[in-house]
Amino acid sequence: MASLNVRVVSPDKTLFEGEAASVVAPAWDGQVGILPGHAPMLALIGSGALSVDRPGGGSDTFYVAGGVVKVERDTVTLLTEYAGHEPPSDVTVDFVEDVE
Amino acid sequence: MAGDADVKRRIKSVENTRQITRTMELVATSKLKKATDRVHAARPYADALEEIVGGLYSPALSEKYPILRRPDEVKRAAVVLLTANRGLCGGFNSNLIKQARNLMEDLRGQGIETELHIAGKKGVAYYRFRGEEIVTEKVDVSDSPTGDDAEEIIAPVRDRFENGDVDAVYLVSSKFKSAMSTPPHTRHLLPITGDENASSADVYILSPSGDMILERILPAYIRNAVYTALVENAAAEQGARRSAMKSATDNAGDVLEHLTRTYNRARQAQITQEIAEIVGGSAALE
Repeated sequence: MASLNVRVVSPDKTLFEGEAASVVAPAWDGQVGILPGHAPMLALIGSGALSVDRPGGGSDTFYVAGGVVKVERDTVTLLTEYAGHEPPSDVTVDFVEDVE
Repeated sequence: MAGDADVKRRIKSVENTRQITRTMELVATSKLKKATDRVHAARPYADALEEIVGGLYSPALSEKYPILRRPDEVKRAAVVLLTANRGLCGGFNSNLIKQARNLMEDLRGQGIETELHIAGKKGVAYYRFRGEEIVTEKVDVSDSPTGDDAEEIIAPVRDRFENGDVDAVYLVSSKFKSAMSTPPHTRHLLPITGDENASSADVYILSPSGDMILERILPAYIRNAVYTALVENAAAEQGARRSAMKSATDNAGDVLEHLTRTYNRARQAQITQEIAEIVGGSAALE
């Protein structure tokens, strides 16, 4: 079965790197689901929960705020200003407000 | 004997110095470890960002975004110099300053005006002493620089570029190749040079639009370039300090050995002399 190669990177760390069956990312205008075979895409990221479904079942959830996601040849690279297992404590990302 | 006491005092003093330099070496080593981790952690983001920005660039966009403008003629260039806040790190700061000076001489040789933006006490102190004008300065960057530090340094420069006050921006900082090798390095920050071979943005689904993505990503791109430079600079500083303090410690050891030898020889000479005097005295009595 095809799978996605996912990387979640923030300026100071790589939060996740590995295989995934699917990814649901918080794009600027709503959730976007990404499955293997997705067309090349470049989308702005808003803020919210990012869930990565593992190939063998189960999923990881992260919180991200601001940035961009790039999908190309089953490789998903998500660059974000904030990435963590908890929502950001200070929700002052002007990025989100701007887009809205 | 007066000579003895002098040598003894010097031994004590060199011992103290060695203690201090050894401690500083240890501190630098532990800070270096953390700083190196930060450098490695910052690289994936920087690389990925570069790829995306390089791929999105197109000449048509430069008309729309002042930050993408490519002036035909460079009249005035901004040099952003990053130095350390502290000394005792060998040639680290002076190498950076020298690099900036050479760059500015080069630019002036081409008939380009230059202006300085400095982060770090050492660079500020040098150019103040020389009486050169510093447009912006920042001296409170810590050992673990943040994105906010980078933003504060680059925001005024970016504004000046967008307004057309300057036509090019160079960033002078240390490249962190390894703890032993931290050469000064000049990066041509603006105008942004797009990668002509990069996959064109046409093949991507762009959401919401290429323009909007660029508008959000470009400031982050510039800021991250400065952030990466700050992080590398901090690691390079600790590396340079560790080497400098290691050679100072080693040198103190050599000096100590020499002084101890001098002291022992003087003491031995004195004992020999006293014995000779006693022997001489008793011989005279017989």
